[in-house]
Amino acid sequence: MLPVLARWWRMLPVAVVLVFPFRSTVADEAKPSPESLEFFEKKIRPLLVNNCFNCHSADNKAAGGLRVDDRNGLLAGGGRGAAVVVGNPDESVLIRAVLKTDAKLKMPPDSQLTEDEINDLRKWITDGAVWPGPEVPFELTEANPEYETLRKNHWAWQPLQSPVVPEIQHKDWARDDIDRFLVSQLEQKSLEPVGDADRATLLRRVTFDLTGLPPAPEDIKAFLADESPNALETVVDRLLASSTFGERWGRNWLDVARYGESTGSARNLPFPQAWKYRDYVIDSLNKDKPYDQFVREQVAGDLLPYASEEQRKELLTATGFLALGVKDVNQRFKVRYVMDNIDEQIDTVSRSVLGLTVSCARCHDHKFDPIPTSEYYGLAGIFNSTDLCDGLRNKMGGGGLDYYDTDKLLILSKQDEVDDAHAAQIAEAKQKADDAKAEFERVRDSADAQKPGPNGRPMQQIARQKWNRAQAQYVALTDPTATSEIALGVRDAKNVGDTEIRYRGEAEKLGPKVPRGVISVVHGPAQPVIPANQSGRLELAQWLTDPSNPLASRVIVNRVWHHLFGEGLVRTTDNFGVTGDRPSHPELLDHLAHRFVDNGWSLKKLIRQIVLTRAYQLGSETTPEHLTADPENRLVWRHSPRRLSAEEIRDAQLAASGKLDIARENGSAAKDLRVIELRNNGPEAKKIVDHANASLKRSVYLPLLRTLVPKSLEVFDFAEQGLVTGARDTTTVPTQALYLLNDGFVRKQALALAELLVTRTDLSDEAKVDEAYLRIVGRHATPEEIARVHGYLVEFAAEAEVSLADAFAAKAQEAAASVNVPPASVDPNSQAPVSDATSSLAAAQAQAAQLANPDDVAQEEEAPVEELIVAKDAQTAAWHSFVQALIGSAEFRYVR
Amino acid sequence: MTNSLGFSPLSRRQILRSSGTGFGYLALAGLLGQNRQATASEQVAERPLAPKAPHFPTKVKRIIFLFMEGAMSHVDTFEYKAALQQNDQKPGPGGGKLVASKFRFAQHGNSGAWVSELYPHVAKQVDKLCFIRGLHTDTPAHPQAVIQLHTGAKIASLTRPSMGSWLLYGLGSENQDLPGYITINPSPNFGGAVNYGTAFLPAYYQGTKVTDTGYLPNLKASQLTSLQRRQLDLVQSMNSDLARQPGAPDELDGIIQSYELAFRMQGKVPELLDISTEPQHVQDAYGVKPGPAGSFARQCLLARRLSEAGVRFVEIRQGGWDHHNNLHKGLTDNAAATDQPTAALLADLEQRGLLEDTLVLFGSEFGRMPTAQGVDGRDHNITGFPMWMAGAGVKAGFSYGSTDEYGLHAVEGRMHTSDLHATLLALMGLDHERLTYNYGGRDFRLTDVEGNVIKEIFA
Repeated sequence: MLPVLARWWRMLPVAVVLVFPFRSTVADEAKPSPESLEFFEKKIRPLLVNNCFNCHSADNKAAGGLRVDDRNGLLAGGGRGAAVVVGNPDESVLIRAVLKTDAKLKMPPDSQLTEDEINDLRKWITDGAVWPGPEVPFELTEANPEYETLRKNHWAWQPLQSPVVPEIQHKDWARDDIDRFLVSQLEQKSLEPVGDADRATLLRRVTFDLTGLPPAPEDIKAFLADESPNALETVVDRLLASSTFGERWGRNWLDVARYGESTGSARNLPFPQAWKYRDYVIDSLNKDKPYDQFVREQVAGDLLPYASEEQRKELLTATGFLALGVKDVNQRFKVRYVMDNIDEQIDTVSRSVLGLTVSCARCHDHKFDPIPTSEYYGLAGIFNSTDLCDGLRNKMGGGGLDYYDTDKLLILSKQDEVDDAHAAQIAEAKQKADDAKAEFERVRDSADAQKPGPNGRPMQQIARQKWNRAQAQYVALTDPTATSEIALGVRDAKNVGDTEIRYRGEAEKLGPKVPRGVISVVHGPAQPVIPANQSGRLELAQWLTDPSNPLASRVIVNRVWHHLFGEGLVRTTDNFGVTGDRPSHPELLDHLAHRFVDNGWSLKKLIRQIVLTRAYQLGSETTPEHLTADPENRLVWRHSPRRLSAEEIRDAQLAASGKLDIARENGSAAKDLRVIELRNNGPEAKKIVDHANASLKRSVYLPLLRTLVPKSLEVFDFAEQGLVTGARDTTTVPTQALYLLNDGFVRKQALALAELLVTRTDLSDEAKVDEAYLRIVGRHATPEEIARVHGYLVEFAAEAEVSLADAFAAKAQEAAASVNVPPASVDPNSQAPVSDATSSLAAAQAQAAQLANPDDVAQEEEAPVEELIVAKDAQTAAWHSFVQALIGSAEFRYVR
Repeated sequence: MTNSLGFSPLSRRQILRSSGTGFGYLALAGLLGQNRQATASEQVAERPLAPKAPHFPTKVKRIIFLFMEGAMSHVDTFEYKAALQQNDQKPGPGGGKLVASKFRFAQHGNSGAWVSELYPHVAKQVDKLCFIRGLHTDTPAHPQAVIQLHTGAKIASLTRPSMGSWLLYGLGSENQDLPGYITINPSPNFGGAVNYGTAFLPAYYQGTKVTDTGYLPNLKASQLTSLQRRQLDLVQSMNSDLARQPGAPDELDGIIQSYELAFRMQGKVPELLDISTEPQHVQDAYGVKPGPAGSFARQCLLARRLSEAGVRFVEIRQGGWDHHNNLHKGLTDNAAATDQPTAALLADLEQRGLLEDTLVLFGSEFGRMPTAQGVDGRDHNITGFPMWMAGAGVKAGFSYGSTDEYGLHAVEGRMHTSDLHATLLALMGLDHERLTYNYGGRDFRLTDVEGNVIKEIFA
């Protein structure tokens, strides 16, 4: 029997736990005797090292799926079954291999073990295949004495308080209890809040903050004219009801969910259905789905009840949250692949929902927060009981469709029954693929590998191409994406159960099993009871969002605060642990969290309450006194300017130029990609990049394949897609200036607005300048600005008339000849789908044909042709230049 | 109508003058009306790429890394093993059949280092080299090993900052008019941009990707210079207006100077990236020619120009070393593409005095087996392989560590990837345990919790 530890075990201090005997890899049997260990070390280990390790060990590879440097590796065996059957050498493939009695199985290939050596192996297997267990690492044997104190004292883990709203002197100033909490601390420091923001500034701020888009000129005019006391309320309600709200706030969550449409890492494979999760997030925000439900769906949607078919699909899609992280599919060993993915899931869930860095406890007890390794593996058991359905499997050195696993997909719609004829077809295709693979391997390892075949190409390449074709045909017959609606996510595994602690986080080094469960750091809901036949994700999801769990609500209200005020009350939005920031206003944080839960976890209500406070509506000006007393504005005496996000910078240009296509993208440019490795210099990557450059959709819909981030986003500190990102950087680098000066996208949007202004014959030049200011910086131009721009336009046009004469003449000629599409430009309104199944399959085959070795790829990378955007005449060129200058101004880049 | 410049509180002349004094930062900072002391962290944020003093004095100012991606066969190039040559076709340790190198080795220079006939030009420079022969790493697959070599991440799915980013973070840039970290022709796969990314470090420290033809996005001016300068003056006068308002964004001066820098870069960087201006004899020395076969020569020449201009970390790359088969021809071709340019780079750096403060690193993510794979191939070997360095900070004509008699396992002077990283940082004057960045509540290092500095190779 395995010493699975009882439930009550969790109640004990860690030190007590460790008096239990550890289950080493040989715990199934009695403790090995010193003699048997000596026999192993003297006879068996050297034999294995000297004869097998070059092809079957962690330092090399697991040829045929077998590794012999790990007892579990031998027991599990490779493609031929268990290499070692404990106590039974005759049943052990290892013995058969070294006897070389089987024509297809002769090991080691280039030498022969002696009879003595084979007898030693037999004896070792008969005697129990003894293997020394790992040494117990120090960290697991000592309970951290500070843990209890930390649990009791660290602010974030204590139950939510119901703070009393403070008495304040600025009674007339405050509009909401939020204001009262804030101004109370200002009063303690004898600081006054600065004045209110002017109305245009306020409208631009709230419009960007809620929708990620600038206010339209007519909205600005209407708001400036609306003198009613609830003018802002009207605007806020309009913005909250707009579908653009979900696009902005959904993206905020996608940052936290480290959303990406490919695996990144060692082999970059697409997640063609990832966009469904993206749309799920956007829709959830727009529906104002209660946040607790939102989290539960993402962690355990597959286990939740549903009222309709539509809701069932929605719930399955939600679990994409757990599936779309960075993956190293080139991992050699499945156990490491599984444990690395589990770690990625634990890290994402714990940091996004709880603001806790639980992953630090993978290899040792958490150094700062009271999270022992045993609790980490309690969570790991939950995810180990969960099937990752991301369409992928691990394999070292795979090529073509090797990584694509159609058993690892979530089928949303019902699949047609597979009839017998179809089944036979599948079986036949499978046989052909297997044969082709065997043939390729034979050719590869033969002397003929590089000899030219009938078509002149090396035999090995021809064989590889044949294999790939057969493989593609097999996959095409079995691929559910052809017949069914698919999403990526998770489901409960067929076999659920607890998992073992892994010493130093090394996947193969098994310690004792620990019961599935949650972490005990929080003073909140009790440990859930996890049914034996379920993963425990449902219980985890319920525990995460239990109203008595203080972290879920504190963390999310702080995230909202961060997005509305530029930084959180706790500045380390993803770390509420001991090494994280302390809240600037602890009572306010709890007040917000309480209110949020009381309001049914409604994000829209929370956001509405905050933006209607007086504090949110402050101006951004500073005074020396304020800067001396609180230079970082932690007390919120003003509204700190916020650099627009990369998406806002791009979307605002499209909005200003009138080119923005507000309709949702139908899926993603990545949705038709085959699940084969993407190379940054390959044709698929080029199509994705071209699509992103030409797209007129909102940035949230751009293809977001890892390491292929669109330039327009990358240049302004887009979220790191490999990490939970609650707060993005805002750097200032010359590449941003180069982008705003020279990029085709910027030049094009500026030209579009310039042409629009030039054709507005109903407007005076002054009104045109004013219109540009309204569209780009959200306010009227001052008379001085109008005068300056006017002078600029005159001077620019005069110079351009001369210096650009040739370019204008060429343009005119071009127009006359009706050849109005220069070769380099792409008409964004007539985008062909990035790739259809046939052509990408052909591409995959073409690629594979050249790739006998999938690691050996084409090295060439062509520099892209940069499009020159030129206006048609001097007048338009002058307006073009001015509009681009305004987009380049710092004022455009900030909301104040 | 008034001339547009009439409204500008900061004339073009003033901008140019102030930027001539280095960034224009100091001159413009006074305009911001923010008479407060910046906090230490804000100072870093305001000039993140300003040169920083290393932890301890060093001669080494910059690194050029010649990355042989795909794992060059060391036993056919720089690692002579008499026992291997004598035991051709005999069983090897760990299984498999030993296969001697088909290439002739000879000793060269005063140091007597063995180099195979594949590298005749480099052999002539061998007394400049400092071999480290006891390297080993963790994963015998290119994608993970490449990522680990570049970022230190043992688990490839963990996104970590690249080595060049750490250097730039630790030392800043020598030349404020250029990116401080340039990677030419980086891998299109094996982690791609991860290998020159910043992960959780701010984007200032990102590697800038350049093609081997010298292309850098958005660097080419989109308009005539005079018109663009006119436009930029308008932008800057708008920015100056904003700067005069109380409560302007703190980063405004950074934005103003970033435009001036960008404008200067448009002028200077394309010139720098244009190797056609090099004298013909220099191009010939490197073996510059068009097309893929000349890629590495172009990269070497670009690397010299960039290093000379003060780029802190330049990486160049030759792929195609993964000779599971076709070893003989593959090695011959790849060596032909890299030998002359590498040797020319060393000679050129020396002649210009740049080897005094530039460190060159040459090598792969791991090595290859002394045993045979198929009829003409060698499999991966992570347990023992060499690299070499040359130039500032390291002993010339020196060799440290060794593999066993066949070149399979590192036995003496063993150096894990993390030891290589610790040593490179130390050569650059940085203590790998002190070069940390706090992210997610924890101090991260390039070397994580490992890394020993191998001082034995220090000059």
